[in-house]
Amino acid sequence: MSARILRFLASRWTRLVLVASVLLGLQTTLLNDMRPFGVMAQVMVLFAACAGVVYGAEIGTIAGLVIGLMYDCVLTTPLGLASLVLGATALVAGLFPYFVRESSWWNKALAVGVASAVGEILFPISQAMVGLGGWVQWHVLVVALVVGVINTLLAPLLLPVTRWTLKETLVG
Amino acid sequence: MSVISAKRKRAIALLSLTSIILITLDLQGSASTSVLRGTFGVFFRPIEGVTRVITRPIGNAWHGITHYNAVTKENDLLREKIAQQEGAAVAAAASVRLSQELLALNGLPTLAGINSVSAQVIGDSPSNYSQSVEINQGSDSGIKVGMPVMNAAGLVGKITKVFARRSIVMLITDPEYALSVKVINNPEAASPINDPEASATTTTSTTTTTTIPTTQPVSNIPGFTPGTTTLPLTTVDVSINVPQLTPTLTIPANGNLPIRETGILEGRGPSRVPIVRFIDSAQRFGTILPGAPIVTSGGSLSLAPPDIVVGTVSKVNDRIGTSGPILEINLVADLANLSFVRILLYQPITEQVKP
Repeated sequence: MSARILRFLASRWTRLVLVASVLLGLQTTLLNDMRPFGVMAQVMVLFAACAGVVYGAEIGTIAGLVIGLMYDCVLTTPLGLASLVLGATALVAGLFPYFVRESSWWNKALAVGVASAVGEILFPISQAMVGLGGWVQWHVLVVALVVGVINTLLAPLLLPVTRWTLKETLVG
Repeated sequence: MSVISAKRKRAIALLSLTSIILITLDLQGSASTSVLRGTFGVFFRPIEGVTRVITRPIGNAWHGITHYNAVTKENDLLREKIAQQEGAAVAAAASVRLSQELLALNGLPTLAGINSVSAQVIGDSPSNYSQSVEINQGSDSGIKVGMPVMNAAGLVGKITKVFARRSIVMLITDPEYALSVKVINNPEAASPINDPEASATTTTSTTTTTTIPTTQPVSNIPGFTPGTTTLPLTTVDVSINVPQLTPTLTIPANGNLPIRETGILEGRGPSRVPIVRFIDSAQRFGTILPGAPIVTSGGSLSLAPPDIVVGTVSKVNDRIGTSGPILEINLVADLANLSFVRILLYQPITEQVKP
């Protein structure tokens, strides 16, 4: 029993929750205050996209759904909505390995940026789908563009963190 | 490998299904989602607190770099504004007092009769698609869902979620926010009407005699006689010409006090100003002019008590046909820089939870 608990505590999913908690802390404090061009950088979207790019669609989607669920708990939108959006974002990012056989750091960063922009557009669309209309505006494209650029720049920092977080085992 | 993949697919399906169920529950207003958020908050608040302390210097440096010039300029403007408004505030306070006394005499509800709780804004919504702020007072202070929130300038929003020691305030600019308001059109500039019978200008000559009391001063200085340099005259004749002003009768343009028109205020997100809809095409007070004040209308079904200042009309967009104009609003409260707010302990009937 204790071995099973230890295995769970050492698993990638436990690490994911812990790292996501720290990033969520950054999201609600520092990034909430710093809004370049009036747009908030989305580190949770970035983390989900990185998971997709590094570990592919399946693991990325699971990670995205979990990260989104945590993000949901601090948002005022219906619980579960960000989970689906970040799951979809990670899925989009997870398609990257299918298109690029030998990837370098910069095209991974670019893929993260594009997936982040897509994820940012999915937010207002999903809100409209559950009846929270009014957010689908042209301004969304500006927000998506800024988030995409910021996340492209931040991706080289978070890609190694994501690689470590979702590594199957820390030994070896 | 395929077993692992099947497991993962099952996990994805399970998590997606969970998300859909949670969305359904939350939209139905289930308490379980609030419990989940509250439980998560218990674990997450300490992490957030530590992160806030650690990252504060970075945030301050960022604001220092990006906002220094703007803050300096704003400080100068504010100093000038304060100087201008100090005098006006005294007069306004007196008017408000008088108005409240009149309303109380007539048994009408006033803001002065509603208790309130002060709170500090502790955070914004961590999303680009939500217009809300978090405050540091909750159900422990008597706050309930639906209560109106205002700052020193005017209406800010309403309480949408309440926890024990914190609450979420939906701002007026959120697309989900709607509130009945009234537009108070100031009567057009009063025009003086000349009385033809008394239009002739006359000049009256008045002679006034002023007596200046003279008291002989006494001095102890030898050889000095006080008052020797002053005129010995004790009576002065002053002749003043007072022009007789034309008697005028002042009548407001519409012959009435400011008339009110009601409509619904709707938020439209951070990038667009709120609007007021459903104003009748034929207004009782004629054309709505930019600058007309907008206040809450009150009423038994309204989200806020009457006469809370919301903003002023910035633009009037006329529409063809019977649909009334759409008014664009300049809010008086600066929602981008909220620090302290006041929650009126007034729960609208529409927001009360049935037992």
